[in-house]
Amino acid sequence: MFISRSEYDRGINTFSPEGRLFQVEYSLEAIKLGSTAIGVATGGGVVLGVEKRVTSTLLETSSVEKIVEIDRHIGCAMSGLQADARSMVEHARVESQNHSFNFNEPLRVESCTQAICDLALRFGEGADGEESIMSRPFGVALLIAGYDEDGPQLYHAEPSGTFYRYDAKAIGSGSEGAQAELQNEFHKSLTIEEAETLVLKTLKQVMEEKLDSKNVQLASVTREKGFRIYTDEEMAKVVERLPAN
Amino acid sequence: MTMFSQNPLMNGPNYSFSQTPTMASGANKEHSFYPYTDNGGSTLAISGNDFMIMAGDTRSTSGYNINTRYSPKVFKIGGTTSSQDDATLVLSVVGFAADGHALKEKLDAIVKMYRYQHGKPMSVKACAQRLSTILYGKRFFPYYVTAILGGLDEDGKGAVYSYDPVGSYEREQCRAAGAAASLIMPFLDNQVNFKNQYIPGSGEGHALVERAKDPLPLVVVEALVKDAFDSAVERHIEVGDGLSMMLITKNGIEEKFLPLKKD
Repeated sequence: MFISRSEYDRGINTFSPEGRLFQVEYSLEAIKLGSTAIGVATGGGVVLGVEKRVTSTLLETSSVEKIVEIDRHIGCAMSGLQADARSMVEHARVESQNHSFNFNEPLRVESCTQAICDLALRFGEGADGEESIMSRPFGVALLIAGYDEDGPQLYHAEPSGTFYRYDAKAIGSGSEGAQAELQNEFHKSLTIEEAETLVLKTLKQVMEEKLDSKNVQLASVTREKGFRIYTDEEMAKVVERLPAN
Repeated sequence: MTMFSQNPLMNGPNYSFSQTPTMASGANKEHSFYPYTDNGGSTLAISGNDFMIMAGDTRSTSGYNINTRYSPKVFKIGGTTSSQDDATLVLSVVGFAADGHALKEKLDAIVKMYRYQHGKPMSVKACAQRLSTILYGKRFFPYYVTAILGGLDEDGKGAVYSYDPVGSYEREQCRAAGAAASLIMPFLDNQVNFKNQYIPGSGEGHALVERAKDPLPLVVVEALVKDAFDSAVERHIEVGDGLSMMLITKNGIEEKFLPLKKD
């Protein structure tokens, strides 16, 4: 059973002889089980889209919350263990409010992402000074979209605590196919409307269920309106715009 | 009276130590500790269209004693070098010198950390809010200082923010603080904001037309600062020795030092 990994995956903070942290690597696998989430950054704003897995016809779809607000100018989409994202989002919200309380200005998107990633490695026994709060790494990845003085930005934050900025990024179970599609379709001069269509079109290709206005959710961050989750009516309109098949 | 008793003279010059006999014979000894001292001195800030000037005298006093003739009250904040030569913000503190020094060190460290954390220099607006939260954070054991923060705002205009010891703040055209504030501030009201200046012959009583508020050029403001301190030195014993001035423009901060009367 433990041939190559030979039990080095038990200790949370223990390197294997090859220099790997297995628990962190496994947490990345947890994300690949999650539903697909996509973000696309354009000059006018960022569009986020997620698939909602409607596992039962009796499920109230509005209770599936995979896109949430962090501040008026920052929002995020998640894939993986939803419950883990709650504490990350809560931390980001507090950080953002503290910043505007202390400095009378909105928190930058990169600083917000960094604040979230600072949490990511606080598992295990904890070094002195900093108290550890988790027994294992997070099992969720976030797509953080925001608008600040540097314009619209999209960041991808992983449980390993690393983050990168992307023009377009897909995470979750359908991420491989979706990322390839984004690679082909993305260009710098996309409009918000085109980005909405691109996100849904890409989701449609990788989703197992047939896409409709109930099993996907869109949100955008723009300079004018800040972060906004699309209403049912707006969702219906974008879905209608999609080319058949 | 003991070593660290309350200031002997209410509203008068302050002593850092008691000068009265420490104990009446046979009387009970009452111990006390007063953590604050007034080190005198005055500061002044005036903002212009594309500059601001921060100034303060360099005398430090305790009661009728002079501790030193050179203890500056105006500091550069948040530079990236040890000489702070690339700083864009200035802070002046007057009141209790030890608290003023501690406050300056704290703000400077915060502004430096901000640059690392957010990858950009801190704006005066952001720094003004942060200074307020620092001061209010010690609401029940305040930094015994009157602070003034200066810099250029996002539009490149001169900005002056003035504070009370617990963090109430306001952006103003000009502000005098410290021992001679009551002497200098009315002078500034008249010379900077043109209060009580009317155009001669423009009418009677309420019909009089106020003098137009033209922005003052740097040379005029610099002269006003010098005049204000020269006058304050004549009338206030805690002000004198030297004048430390900082001129903030888009080109950075220029430091000037002028001698004041040492009597």
